[in-house]
Amino acid sequence: MEYLSSDNIAIIDLSSSEVKSEELSEDLVRDRIGGIGITTQLYERFKDEDPIVLGTGMLTGTSVPGSSLGVITAKSPLTGNVHHAPFCLFSAMEMKYAGFDYIVIKGAAENPVYLWLHDGIADINDASDLWGKSPWELIDIHVGLRRILSEELIQLLTIGRAGEEGSDLAQILVNCWPSGDRWGFGKLMGHKKLKALAVRGMGIFEVADPKGFIEKCAEVLSEIKKGAFLEKRGCIEFPAALGQEDIRDWIAPLVHRHSSCFNCPYPTNTFVKYNEDPKILEETDVEEPGYLITDVYGLLGFKDLGLSAENACRMLEACARDGIEPVAASQLLRKTGKTDLDSLKNALASLTGPVESIATSKFSSWIPPKPIFGDFGLPADGSKDAEWWERRQAVAHIFGIHPIFALMAPELTEDVLIDLFNMGTDLDITQETLDEVVADICQ
Amino acid sequence: MGLKFDSLRCTACMACEMACGYNRDDAFSMIVSSIVTYRNREKKNYFGLMLKESENLVLARPEKLEIQRIGVVDENVEADPAAKPILLRQACDLCEGTEGGPLCIRLCPQDVISLAD
Repeated sequence: MEYLSSDNIAIIDLSSSEVKSEELSEDLVRDRIGGIGITTQLYERFKDEDPIVLGTGMLTGTSVPGSSLGVITAKSPLTGNVHHAPFCLFSAMEMKYAGFDYIVIKGAAENPVYLWLHDGIADINDASDLWGKSPWELIDIHVGLRRILSEELIQLLTIGRAGEEGSDLAQILVNCWPSGDRWGFGKLMGHKKLKALAVRGMGIFEVADPKGFIEKCAEVLSEIKKGAFLEKRGCIEFPAALGQEDIRDWIAPLVHRHSSCFNCPYPTNTFVKYNEDPKILEETDVEEPGYLITDVYGLLGFKDLGLSAENACRMLEACARDGIEPVAASQLLRKTGKTDLDSLKNALASLTGPVESIATSKFSSWIPPKPIFGDFGLPADGSKDAEWWERRQAVAHIFGIHPIFALMAPELTEDVLIDLFNMGTDLDITQETLDEVVADICQ
Repeated sequence: MGLKFDSLRCTACMACEMACGYNRDDAFSMIVSSIVTYRNREKKNYFGLMLKESENLVLARPEKLEIQRIGVVDENVEADPAAKPILLRQACDLCEGTEGGPLCIRLCPQDVISLAD
């Protein structure tokens, strides 16, 4: 594949330590477009070897607004079904610039390993010294993989103690923050003795029609910037916008700044500080002043236990240090009847499941279930929300668009995405192609 | 004429960095960008922008704007290791010859960057 691509599918066998590389064929892209269209096919191809398949969309890492999405396709140890967990921040972009469109991880290592993905090369490295370390240690610039590999901008997909111990609550984290993994994919990584994937990208990918592509992106962004969310910031806005509890005043005293995933016009992440004054803008000596809220439902879960905003955030941090999915943890902790911070933290270590309220959809319940801010012309009674949501998510996961941002930006229509795909790749996919891929994924 | 920054509006999305590389290469490649998002102090949530001009390095930090003269060492200022790679790159030319002006301004979703006299 010549355009918008690294032209590389890595097939990594942890059992034999073999790494193979395949070209991303134009025919495959023409038939399956990308993202989960292709991860699903790769999963089917290797399904007898219990694969974890990672992928990006053809628009991931580009100038298309919201182009930050990567997906993990695997069979959930909780449901026995195949699901697609989104990962954002900068990890998907780095994976693509590192020279990997798709990565198939099959088999299991005998001893702990991590993957170092850079310059189109996949190294399988010993992780004996990293096993037992928390994601917070692993990402630390003084002691973690960024230090070990001498590269400060490495992005990680990693597991914590929960994944190592095979807990149903185990989640794959992006660096040290929760991803959209609600299905125990962290347990799968632990089973494979795979502590982390470390990615750093300094590659280049070409565009078939560079002038047309960038002009179209600028035009779409200009329309998006007229949207309803322009002055709103952070995931803390979502509950009120969705007609749920308004948590903004509750969390406000802790809020530091909001940040975006790669090229995402809306900053979906909210950083809170509780180990130093949130109003401090300068860099201080406090190495871990707080927590980046990437999952507002995790926050709501701990708020519902009656915790203060600070203690709810401290519980999120505790979950992230152990690599525990916070929504599942809050549900299980409710049953213990514990209400004080120390007791709840102590109880985390003994939580084993089973996880309640597992999402049965192909797509993650980390993503709010209906439009946020944007008007997509849906009936006010919500009768079409679920059907619309599944289609919208399928499309976002195919092209590589941030799945929450996709709920805000009606300007990113399927026509626009198809146009951009065709301008960027010099292929000629149609609405019919997209409909076929979506139908296949959602069946 | 140069770029100016409203750094508190910045959300570290990297659109400017991606746009700058694109303008140079007509392709997606960020290693040639004259503008860089510094995002390595992730656990501190400390982020901002660095711009290489022909004679200056502009640091748009959240707390203040700082302009360092390239090649002049101020012994009172601790060198920022994150600045080193950008010093090897081409200086910002405001996307000279590009219709519509600097691409980083056009693609910034938060209107952080603008032209200054």
